[in-house]
Amino acid sequence: MSGANFKGRLLRLCQKELKETIRDRRTIVTLLLMPLLVYPIMSMALNRFLLSSGGIDEGFTVCVNSELESEILDQWLSNPNSAPPKPVADSSGNELAKFRVAVIQDVSPEEVVARNDADVGLELTNIETGRPTATFYAYRGDSVSQAARRILVERLQWLKLAEAELLLTATVPEYRTPLLVKAEDVGTLEENSLLATIVPLVLVLMTITGAVYPAIDLTAGERERGTMEAVMASPVPRGYVLFSKYTAVVAVALLTAIANLLAMFTTLWAGGLLNLLTGGDAFPWLTILQMFGLLVLFSGFFSAVLLSLTSFAKSFKEAQAYLIPVMLLSLTPAMLSLMPGITLSGALTILPLINIVLLARDMLSGTVDPNNAFVAVVSTCAYATAALSVAARLFGSDAVTRTSEKSIGSLLKRPRDPSPRPTPQAAALMLALLVPVYFLVSNGLMRFIKASQDTNVETTLFLNAIALISTFGLLPTLAAWLARNRFKTTFRLQPSGILSIIGAILLGLGAWTLAHEAFLIAESLGVGGLSDQQIAGAEATVAKMRQTSPLLLIAVFALTPAVIEELCFRGYLFSAIRGAASPLRTVLITALLFGLFHVLTGSALLIERFVPSTLMGLIIGWVAYRTGSVYPGIVIHFVHNGLLNTVLYYQDQLGFLGAGFDDQTHLPPHWLAIAAVLVLVGAGLVWVSSRNRAETSAMPSENPAPPTNDSEIA
Amino acid sequence: MLTVESLRKSFQLEEDEIRAVDDLSFRVEPGEVYGLLGPNGAGKTTTLRMVLGLVQPDSGYAEVSGYRTAVDPTAVKSRLGFVSASDGVYPWLSVREMLLYFADLYGVEQSEASVRCERLAELMGISTLLDRRAGTLSTGQRQRVTLVRGLIHDPPVMLLDEPTRGLDVVGVQTIFEYIEHLREVGKAVVVCTHRLDEAERLCDRFGLLHRGRMQQTGTLDELRQNSGHQHLVDMFVDLLRS
Repeated sequence: MSGANFKGRLLRLCQKELKETIRDRRTIVTLLLMPLLVYPIMSMALNRFLLSSGGIDEGFTVCVNSELESEILDQWLSNPNSAPPKPVADSSGNELAKFRVAVIQDVSPEEVVARNDADVGLELTNIETGRPTATFYAYRGDSVSQAARRILVERLQWLKLAEAELLLTATVPEYRTPLLVKAEDVGTLEENSLLATIVPLVLVLMTITGAVYPAIDLTAGERERGTMEAVMASPVPRGYVLFSKYTAVVAVALLTAIANLLAMFTTLWAGGLLNLLTGGDAFPWLTILQMFGLLVLFSGFFSAVLLSLTSFAKSFKEAQAYLIPVMLLSLTPAMLSLMPGITLSGALTILPLINIVLLARDMLSGTVDPNNAFVAVVSTCAYATAALSVAARLFGSDAVTRTSEKSIGSLLKRPRDPSPRPTPQAAALMLALLVPVYFLVSNGLMRFIKASQDTNVETTLFLNAIALISTFGLLPTLAAWLARNRFKTTFRLQPSGILSIIGAILLGLGAWTLAHEAFLIAESLGVGGLSDQQIAGAEATVAKMRQTSPLLLIAVFALTPAVIEELCFRGYLFSAIRGAASPLRTVLITALLFGLFHVLTGSALLIERFVPSTLMGLIIGWVAYRTGSVYPGIVIHFVHNGLLNTVLYYQDQLGFLGAGFDDQTHLPPHWLAIAAVLVLVGAGLVWVSSRNRAETSAMPSENPAPPTNDSEIA
Repeated sequence: MLTVESLRKSFQLEEDEIRAVDDLSFRVEPGEVYGLLGPNGAGKTTTLRMVLGLVQPDSGYAEVSGYRTAVDPTAVKSRLGFVSASDGVYPWLSVREMLLYFADLYGVEQSEASVRCERLAELMGISTLLDRRAGTLSTGQRQRVTLVRGLIHDPPVMLLDEPTRGLDVVGVQTIFEYIEHLREVGKAVVVCTHRLDEAERLCDRFGLLHRGRMQQTGTLDELRQNSGHQHLVDMFVDLLRS
């Protein structure tokens, strides 16, 4: 099929799914009716809530029964002595809460407050005696009413105190105020952070609501209607159908997001609350666009999650039963984001849903931290990939037929027959899990090292190796075992000739210079580069490492990464991607992933590692492709890392070589010439050794794995 | 045209292994209507699903116009038409949109698909329904739409799974006429049904399936000779008692 035909067909499939969903009146209800109803109500509730903080100009309402009582209250409140003393008033910006007095004659103030028609009720008795008694009524449990009464009582207490002191000073000249009270604020002002959290939270929840119905309808609903089997009986690739359904769900989720965004901001604007959120009255198109960008990301992620779950369900009811716990689970982190002091950092950056809500909040308040934002975005993309790969695995396989016996547990069931290599979907799922696991393990490791002051260098090194093995080593192994992939072909454990190993050694000896020069070029172009602080940090680490045995260093920084990372990237991932992509694309994709994972280290993003690591990934990828084996790559990786570590370890003794290895300058030309010869000879040996290989054993060109078995019995 | 050779399929249910299809072989030629008959659970639908590539056989193969399902599932699927009694429609699409969607799934050129859509709609008497929303159709009208859908890519082989289930007399008559049309235009047709009386009127040859195994196969006359019974129903009662 030509490219244009392919695109046209895919587009028409997407159009059909969208038409089917958009025409359904249930979609329209969530899409339009909900935003129209929800936001005016929410705006009213917010108005009421924000009153308690005195944020609204109109002030509190006080109800009295007579004009006389109204006049007396006015006199008291307009008396400057009813204001708090200056040191206390300063802490609230010298602003006094406003009160509006309403005279209602037929009903008692107590009753008016009980009906919630006023914030506070006031009853004055014994007025004629000159010593009136003021009784304030507030609604039990209503924070606004209680706050209004507290302020009124305090104002009258200040008035009584000031007048008593005046009298005392006049009669007892030696009287001095026994106590001075001051109120001071600490910390930074977090203006309306609550509103800035509520807005994205509601938007996220509404986007979820928008995606739920189409996700169920286009999968379980289609199965229930009896159209799914006919679709699966057609020759169209399952991926096309899934993609079109995914597009439709994302599109509806986004339409819901847009409808909600506009309805919410219009309501806030009309209700005069917009300035509390954005600090201005202008309609914030840019903020809306930013929020929309985040919602695109979130929709992509959540739609994939929904599709992967509904792909199990055989009926609408069953799908709903799966989704209700997910919706409730989604609420927990969402509510967590409302708690004070919660910021987008540490593990929260990888916690789905909450990371998007917090990032949106930071966007609204203009306090986005790029590192945390990057981790949040990358992890959300990873989760979306994982969910989609689960959906791809389930969609249209055994689970499509109406009477399938499959359940969610079947996802973890090992297939009966072994397969030569992982599917790209399985690899995507493994990769997506690797992101949060690696993040947690590397962060946890750093925290542990920081927490235990007396941790010696050996323990730190040991933990480093364990972290690498338990992530890049364990996850691909588990994934291959679970999918019953043959380890030999999956991890590409075919032996390679001695010539290719010699070539690999030469490449390892020379390739670091290319990586070094690439790093410097990238730095001059503004990609990466090291700050003085980073260089100082690296030097301190090197100094610390010199306290231990060089063999241990080689084992941890050269042998372990060489074996584990190569088995993961040029073994598992290479064989999985090669099943669906050309050799060139396979080398490129694995190299990019290799580069990306070298950037994502612990809490900091080491951008400067991207270019050299990707370049090394390209070199090793080419060798892996030519030789059909993971072993020469391990050798290159080991020699490269081992060489760098040895040089750093013996840096002081190697001064005679003329150029410092830690210098951020280009290498001398004769070094480059030697390295170039090594690389060329090494590459030549690899090429010669693999001339007749033609991807025979390493890259089996079997047909894609046939569909898995159905457990349906006619 | 359609060859099924030594197909086997077992399912694991709890601790028990259930043999759904056991060493099943048959062949259907162009213009021939083959009745795959058997009680519920005999393995008829599983057989059709293996032919379609929706279920992977444990052993054996299905071949359509020289293409094997396991080797080239796309080539096989594009040569098969599949209609089942439990097929539904997309309630929010018009009949025309739904038919063109399926034409697209089978890779039929859009202009060609429109022509076929009109022609088949006329043949099945649903021309006036083409722009109606499928959700508003009656059961009989939906059935006709489904039958047109199965033919939209003009496949040489048609698989019909319990096509008369749940239909009234008029609906059943429509199916009869449809199958007659398929025979006339030279399609190889497999009809799976447990309605033996209908099968007698419809099919040229029969395969009697029980517990996944082919018990008897042949024309009605051959089956009568072998079994000593006049009707398929009596042959089956014997089969079930044995």
